[in-house]
Amino acid sequence: MHELSIAQSIFDAIEAKADQCQASHIRSVHLQVGEASGIILDSLTSCFEMLANTDQMTQGAQLQIDVIPHRAFCPHCAKEFEVKQLVAQCPGCGQWSDEIISGTELRILEMEIDGIEAQL
Amino acid sequence: MPKVTIAQNILAANDSIAQELRQQFKAKRLVTLNLMSSPGSGKTSLLECTIKRLHSLIGIAVIEGDIETATDAERIEAAGAQTVQINTRGACHLEAHMVRDALPELDLGAVRLLFIENVGNLVCPSTWDLGEDSKVVIVSTTEGDDKPSKYPQMFSVAQAMVINKIDLLPYVNFSVNKVIQQARRLNPKIRVFTLSCRTGEGMDDWCEWLLQQLEANPFVYSYRPTD
Repeated sequence: MHELSIAQSIFDAIEAKADQCQASHIRSVHLQVGEASGIILDSLTSCFEMLANTDQMTQGAQLQIDVIPHRAFCPHCAKEFEVKQLVAQCPGCGQWSDEIISGTELRILEMEIDGIEAQL
Repeated sequence: MPKVTIAQNILAANDSIAQELRQQFKAKRLVTLNLMSSPGSGKTSLLECTIKRLHSLIGIAVIEGDIETATDAERIEAAGAQTVQINTRGACHLEAHMVRDALPELDLGAVRLLFIENVGNLVCPSTWDLGEDSKVVIVSTTEGDDKPSKYPQMFSVAQAMVINKIDLLPYVNFSVNKVIQQARRLNPKIRVFTLSCRTGEGMDDWCEWLLQQLEANPFVYSYRPTD
């Protein structure tokens, strides 16, 4: 259940940002979560909603999650390929690649807020 | 509706503490290993055996992570190493701030090898950087030989895998080769050790590798034991 810790980290980051720009309420938070990040999205969403409902500032806030595919580059074939179940083996030549292009992201992109004084 | 750009890693707070720790470890000429496994695979036993073999050669300290109790820290102390116990009170993994807060409890002056024994859990600890040099995953022969496939994240981030309790191989359905194959599919470069803490078989290779880690660290003096 490390999704609760991840949700807490998101919560801390958005509250800090909301204070900084004097927002009165956070409506939604936009995330990028890589397929290979080991996060269960349903758990993350329910943990986040649970935390969000403990504070007026975040009451009812929603997570919007972009799932980023796990992809690698094969230097032998000079091609990108999809990494399946964390096995970074090129389907073309069978070689393993350690050139991961995407899929490990765990990022907060932006949030939608109410009561902003000036756009930051 | 106004949008505010945040553009930061969700684990940024943890990662920046981990980065500070890493610099601190480097400055203190420490090699740090983060040990992760299921509960009961033998992390503490491995540490006890390792300490008994190496503590006359190099200073060793252990940060013990457990949900409750100081049982493991007592075992480590009895084996002859300095230790500090972190009780996570329910949390399923260690985070960098816990390590940072525990560190002042240790006198690291003569210590060259620092182990962080994570909470027994084959899922969550893999996500948190603790500032370590290497992650080591331990799997034991009594757990079944499908662990790397079932818990791929852990095996894909580890630099080394220890297969423990090989003295029990005649009594359990466990294929060492199958586990190594699965782990190498996820992580072709993973270093593998097969050993038994009970009989001591395989411990020499593991201890030799640990000493090599010290030698590979440019900040640490070279030490090779003489037989």
